[in-house]
Amino acid sequence: MPSNKTLVRSSEREFHCQFPSQITPPPTTMSATGNSRKRPPAAATPSPQLKHQAAMEEEELDEDVFLEETLLQYEEEESQRRSVAERLAKWNRPPLSPSYVSQSRNIGHSVCCHVHGFEPYFYISCPPGMGPDDISRFHQILEGRMREANRNSKVPKFVRRIELVQRRSIMYYQQQSSQPFLKIVVALPTMVASCRGILDRGVQIDGLGIKSFMTYESNVLFALRFMVDCNIVGGNWIEVPLGKYKKTTKNLCYSQLEFDCLFSDLISHAAEGEFSKMAPFRILSFDIECAGRKGHFPEPTHDPVIQVANLVTLQGDDQPFVRNVMTLKSCSPIVGVDVMSFDTEKEVLLAWRDLIREVDPDIIIGYNICKFDLPYLIQRAEVLGIAEFPLLGRIRNSRVRIKDTTFSSRYSNKGGTMLMNDVAVSILLNLYASKPSSFSSDYMMKNLVGTTVKLNGPNYLVWSQSIKIFLGAQRKLSHITKAPSLRQTKVMKIATPSPFSTPPTFDQFAMAIMGGRRGRALDSGREKCAHCGRTNHPLDKCWKKFGKPAWAQRKKTATAPAPALLTSELPKVQISQAEYDRLMKFEAGQMSTPSDPHASTSDGVGFIRQYGTRESKEVTVEGRVQFDLIQVMQRDYKLSSYSLNSVSAHFLNEQKEDVHHSIISDLQNGNAETRRRLAVYCLKDAYLPQRLLDKLMFVYNYVEMARVTGVPISFLLSKGQSIKVLSQLLRKAKQKNLVIPNVKQAGSEQGTYEGATVLEARAGFYEKPIATLDFASLYPSIMMAYNLCYCTLVSPEDARKLNLPPECVNKTPSGETFVKSNLQKGLLPEILEELLAARKRAKADLKEARDPLEKAVLDGRQLALKISANSVYGFTGATVGQLPCLEISSSVTSYGRQMIEHTKKLVEDKFTVGGGYEHNAEVIYGDTDSVMVQFGVSSVEEAMNLGREAADYISGTFIKPMKLEFEKVYYPYLLISKKRYAGLYWTNPKKFDKMDTKGIETVRRDNCLLVKNLVTECLNKLLIDKDIPGAVQYVKNSISDLLMNRMDLSLLVITKGLTKTGDDYEVKAAHVELAERMRKRDAATAPNVGDRVPYVIIKAAKGAKAYERSEDPIYVLENNIPIDPHYYLENQISKPLLRIFEPILKNASKELLQGSHTRSISISTPSNSGIMKFAKKQLTCIGCKALISNSDHTLCSHCKGREAELYCKSVANVAELEELFGRLWTQCQECQGSLHQDVLCTSRDCPIFYRRKKAQKDMAEAKVQLDRWSF
Amino acid sequence: MAAAPMPMEVDSGNGVLHRKQSIYKSLDESFEIQKEMYRGQQYSQIYFARLHLMRTLLYSLLPTWKPHLPVCTVLGLEEGKECIIVGTIYKHMKLKPSILDEYSKERSASPLVQPHNFINSDDYLVLEDESGRVKLRGTVLLPSVYVTGIVVALQGKETGAGDFMVEDILEAGLPHQTELPLNSGEDKYVVLVSGLSVGSSSANPLHFQLFVDHITGHLGDEKEQGIAAQIVQVIIAGNSVEYPRGLLNGQNLGSKDQSRLSEPIKELDILLTQIASGIPVDIMPGTTDPANFSMPQQPLHRCLFPGSSAYNTFRSCTNPHSFELDNVRFLGTSGQNIDDLAKYSDAKDKLGFLERTLRWRHIAPTAPNTLGCYPFTDRDPFFVEICPHVYFVGNQDKYETSLIKGSDGQLVRLICIPRFAETGTAVVLNLRNLECHTLSFGTQLGL
Repeated sequence: MPSNKTLVRSSEREFHCQFPSQITPPPTTMSATGNSRKRPPAAATPSPQLKHQAAMEEEELDEDVFLEETLLQYEEEESQRRSVAERLAKWNRPPLSPSYVSQSRNIGHSVCCHVHGFEPYFYISCPPGMGPDDISRFHQILEGRMREANRNSKVPKFVRRIELVQRRSIMYYQQQSSQPFLKIVVALPTMVASCRGILDRGVQIDGLGIKSFMTYESNVLFALRFMVDCNIVGGNWIEVPLGKYKKTTKNLCYSQLEFDCLFSDLISHAAEGEFSKMAPFRILSFDIECAGRKGHFPEPTHDPVIQVANLVTLQGDDQPFVRNVMTLKSCSPIVGVDVMSFDTEKEVLLAWRDLIREVDPDIIIGYNICKFDLPYLIQRAEVLGIAEFPLLGRIRNSRVRIKDTTFSSRYSNKGGTMLMNDVAVSILLNLYASKPSSFSSDYMMKNLVGTTVKLNGPNYLVWSQSIKIFLGAQRKLSHITKAPSLRQTKVMKIATPSPFSTPPTFDQFAMAIMGGRRGRALDSGREKCAHCGRTNHPLDKCWKKFGKPAWAQRKKTATAPAPALLTSELPKVQISQAEYDRLMKFEAGQMSTPSDPHASTSDGVGFIRQYGTRESKEVTVEGRVQFDLIQVMQRDYKLSSYSLNSVSAHFLNEQKEDVHHSIISDLQNGNAETRRRLAVYCLKDAYLPQRLLDKLMFVYNYVEMARVTGVPISFLLSKGQSIKVLSQLLRKAKQKNLVIPNVKQAGSEQGTYEGATVLEARAGFYEKPIATLDFASLYPSIMMAYNLCYCTLVSPEDARKLNLPPECVNKTPSGETFVKSNLQKGLLPEILEELLAARKRAKADLKEARDPLEKAVLDGRQLALKISANSVYGFTGATVGQLPCLEISSSVTSYGRQMIEHTKKLVEDKFTVGGGYEHNAEVIYGDTDSVMVQFGVSSVEEAMNLGREAADYISGTFIKPMKLEFEKVYYPYLLISKKRYAGLYWTNPKKFDKMDTKGIETVRRDNCLLVKNLVTECLNKLLIDKDIPGAVQYVKNSISDLLMNRMDLSLLVITKGLTKTGDDYEVKAAHVELAERMRKRDAATAPNVGDRVPYVIIKAAKGAKAYERSEDPIYVLENNIPIDPHYYLENQISKPLLRIFEPILKNASKELLQGSHTRSISISTPSNSGIMKFAKKQLTCIGCKALISNSDHTLCSHCKGREAELYCKSVANVAELEELFGRLWTQCQECQGSLHQDVLCTSRDCPIFYRRKKAQKDMAEAKVQLDRWSF
Repeated sequence: MAAAPMPMEVDSGNGVLHRKQSIYKSLDESFEIQKEMYRGQQYSQIYFARLHLMRTLLYSLLPTWKPHLPVCTVLGLEEGKECIIVGTIYKHMKLKPSILDEYSKERSASPLVQPHNFINSDDYLVLEDESGRVKLRGTVLLPSVYVTGIVVALQGKETGAGDFMVEDILEAGLPHQTELPLNSGEDKYVVLVSGLSVGSSSANPLHFQLFVDHITGHLGDEKEQGIAAQIVQVIIAGNSVEYPRGLLNGQNLGSKDQSRLSEPIKELDILLTQIASGIPVDIMPGTTDPANFSMPQQPLHRCLFPGSSAYNTFRSCTNPHSFELDNVRFLGTSGQNIDDLAKYSDAKDKLGFLERTLRWRHIAPTAPNTLGCYPFTDRDPFFVEICPHVYFVGNQDKYETSLIKGSDGQLVRLICIPRFAETGTAVVLNLRNLECHTLSFGTQLGL
């Protein structure tokens, strides 16, 4: 750590840290007892007494145990890298000075708390008749077996204790309130699994013989166990009261504050009121560039890292306070960016490590960082032999490792991978041996919980983000002799000092990297100015005129002490208002609801497999959450392309130029200017993820989700849905004294059950309004209404034995029996009630909320609550999940089917002409939780009234809380088949809200753009314009254009990801074949594994397979290769079109795909392929294509008289192309944000990329044609 | 007035009137594209060339403007330090249409009808040089006046927010002018006409015929003919024909369409032949003519004018067009440059734009940004090196003219030539004193 002196000096010179400076001191003066004023000096002495070796079992261990070899074994040598250190040090967290402590409450210190005394345990049911003596004998037996199994371990006592406790299993309805259980407390978390294994296999017990035991809660991750028992949820505030903590003597991590306390002293605060605020996370967004070799994707074994761009933002701020780029070799300055150039790659890497350490980010974001950037950096450092590089986490001297993982959301309890992705505050869990008071521990468990702390007075408030545990720390301690400190690091030569004496602003910076397109946000995302109603103008402009709105003024007043808190008895904890300088873009996150019944209903397994299996490299950086935007995008959104460019274009409406990796090396090998070019590009790649994060409010949504479900944030990204439900279930069960059995993984043996019902779709084009009746949260409601739970399920034998009165049980349509809530209230219904009630509250608060930040938090919360409620059903149905119970899930779906049928029947019985209505109502379709009714009326308003009436009427017949809601009317409505429909969506009778489509090809990316355009345009014409002939004509024209070769090539490009090389594919695929061919042509630009390969299908010899006919679009453009219109007609557009038109036209196929518009076909001649290479070119008359001699030059004698006309034709062609050329290329300049530099972009996702290329080539050709006239 | 057939010779009762002559020198060379080809070059080069040319010029002016101030690059700006920066202006415009939006083609609420002018109060200016960009602020520099592509020198300082607070602007100003050979004693007239739009529905063929007859001396009494005899040059500034472009969609034409296409051109050729037989005539291409689109537009092909091109008095010229008549220097365009400025900036009248372009020393600053332009690699043909005496633009709504004076005594006649097809008006300029008047033709018999 550099001294404060250094800090002040450097911050005078260059960037300012943007921490709240105008803070008014609170009237109370706090004593700074119990905390250090500075970051304590590095621990210098190892603890000699810690000699034990942690026992580790092979099977099912929590992998986050620190292995010896990951720890540095040597002292880092004296080094003199002071200048870099100084440069980086100015972004340190604010120092812990007494004045800070007393004056500010939202500083953002990093805190590490070692929590002691929490022990791993699990339960088994106590065999009947076991007395205290039996238990101690059982203890000895178990201890002996454990010792056998862990021979290498030097743990003195494996099984700490066995206690007799009264608990009850969650499974099945039981009349007695509790039974004896044995709580087995073991020494290390990993031993839970090993001990479970022993008990599963069976233990010899005197008098009982070999007995195997059913274990309970033995599959709970230790971190989760801790959080559940301490009532800590992800992202909440934790208070450590005065006097309950001790400053640590030996620092294990880089946090500014480090102290010890007992787990039982932690006070967890629910995220309400003041505690719902979020800590000012430090978010690092970074991107690296590597110099690949021609024809190869960069590999860490060969290709150097040449640039690293970094932006660090304080959560809630709208601009980064650190912007820098580290380059290999000199680089010209960039406005607003600290350019650091180094001579060797080692220096670049180490400078980045120092940045991480100095800036101390809580969250690391980027695009594809988890799979590419981070592993690359670490592997590269390994190749270069920079052992000191991977010290990126918060734990001192712990190296970051790479693991290859297969992420599949079929997460089981198999140890799995626990990410150490936690934020800011670390909590170290310490398992004490015997005396809880002594902090000298046998086993150290480290638990990184998260976040920044508000210090105000002597109480520490810790924000727990998530939890990470590690074991074997005592071994680690013995190797820490001296922590490396930056003050002693080597001086690195800095080639280019920063030219800025004043900090350039963010706007300058943004302009420098984003150019002109910055700020053109999506229409939907534009904020409306409250004063003038305009969108997309800087708010402060209006503020000048009208004065700041209340919320913006809050900034100044926010720091004033909140009186309510001050009047409370003690100088208790105060958290200041979150210091957010400006309004963040506010837009409700559109996080999809992955487990909503639409997605997952037909089988319970579906929900848990929804993310599929992805292979990835996993890098754990202790204490820092990695939030890879590409993973989040793939998880939460369905997009046609996940390239950063297209994602940004979609959400931010900001294009970036896309530099092909093959030219990166050229830019690097150029001069300082070309490297600057590259640096700007690299910065953009770091900037866009940050913008996405802000725009889509991921931090809010994910923190809220963590709070609601009680799991660490890192779980949300790395694990499936089930852990979330399990966490809630555990919490609830603990309150009720219930324990959850560890059910053996049964795979799919338990069979499946019948899924949701889908009423027969009466396909057709409905030109009358269709009212849609929806069940509000159908599955959760069913579970609540019928009290479906593990603990209310009556097993078949009990059903016979217990002889329960029929009025106390519900028999479900699937034949299961559940008791009613008067006998036993179910846990799941209770969880659901709480979730839905909380959601209702959140929604109500949302309406009230004025502060946009508060709104963001609340909206994130209600969304999280909805998703959580919906995933409970899936949890019970996931046969490979934690606690499957198909009795519940099949009951749920069977009730669901019943509801739908019931609704259909009621509607069709009641709304009849006989019943006094104008028309007979007709249910045309019903799906899972909605029913579409055609009431026969012709106005939207009438349909809405009837819909409401029907909803109320039918709701009355259901058990609470099941409710049928009327939400929307579709008019017109095109119903193609089940799960495929399109319609205009009306929620008020005046104007439709949007066009809603489902299951129709509008986004699938295997299709070419033409399909999407055609389908969208047809639907527009059909639904909005109600112009069927127009739609037909449009299709005919498009087909004709296609056949006449007038179609824009970019519409025909099909894109597929190349996931392995050609040999690995079993079936020949077009894109793989093409990639092979392109590699033969030019290895440098050929696509590599991981790239997406764009191709078009070209005309080729008869009988050629489709995969042989794929071709690179650029190659096609350059060589005039004719595309195969019939392929597109038959394989791409015909099916989607027919699907749409079949309900409308009688013989759609004949009408659309055959007819006069398909007769005329034109094919351009390939100019240099195949046989054409042997052809001799001879001039033809421009007018009539007759061969002419060279002397005639332009026209044959026959056409001589038509010169004027023919010239007009030629020149008109040129004029058209010139106009296009000009507009396309100036647009690219605009995107690029520079007039004086060439456009480099090769973004194939850009809608004008091929056109731009084509315009350039066509222009040259047309010019040649025109020049023939200059005789 | 009615058209009267007249013999070809201009004779009067007491002798033959001789048409006056003047010495013509074409200066179109820089506007010719000649052998340049599209080789994948981009527009950055023309901007670079422009910046280079203009910067050299502006630097030479700095000692007389603000000699005490240092000159900085955008990157070298320091907060609070008074300095001068030179660079290309880029105007960020919210309403500027983007081809991307056109292609993304999603139905949105925004109307497809484009407004006439894309100015918005949120527009702001940015100054760019090779090193970077900086946002400009300050009341001195009005975003509505400036457009993308102008090179200026700005005095000011960087603000805390990182913007550049502009305190003073230096434009290149009027270039040097050759001495005007005024008052040579003789009246010689140049007739400027534009927007004949032969073949369009709005054009009245009779107007044009009257115009031709008038200037060739077939109309009026002796006095009028005497004046006609003093016409030494006719300039046709663009948009001479209008032909149905819709027919040219890449498909073969039927014979009927063929003639529809070539009819207007034939008609124009006939009339041009009548003029060319008597008076030298320069024809410039315009947007509706069968010429290329981007500036500089290349001369209309001679094969379009089989009749008139036989005369050596017929000259097909580029647009922009520059020439000297009796040492009076002319520069003019068919109007695209000014029309484009009017879309992206604001002035009280069209003459204001004309004057601005001269003071910026660049007749088409918006090329290539919004005005189509050939991607030149090593030069910028629109840079005005020598100040013209007459600067005209064609195809404007109405006739406007003014005389502006430069600081070094430069005197420039600015002329907006109205569209003839709509107004029946041509402009006559007296070479002797650069005075101007209009020549209007009407076919409605006033009572």
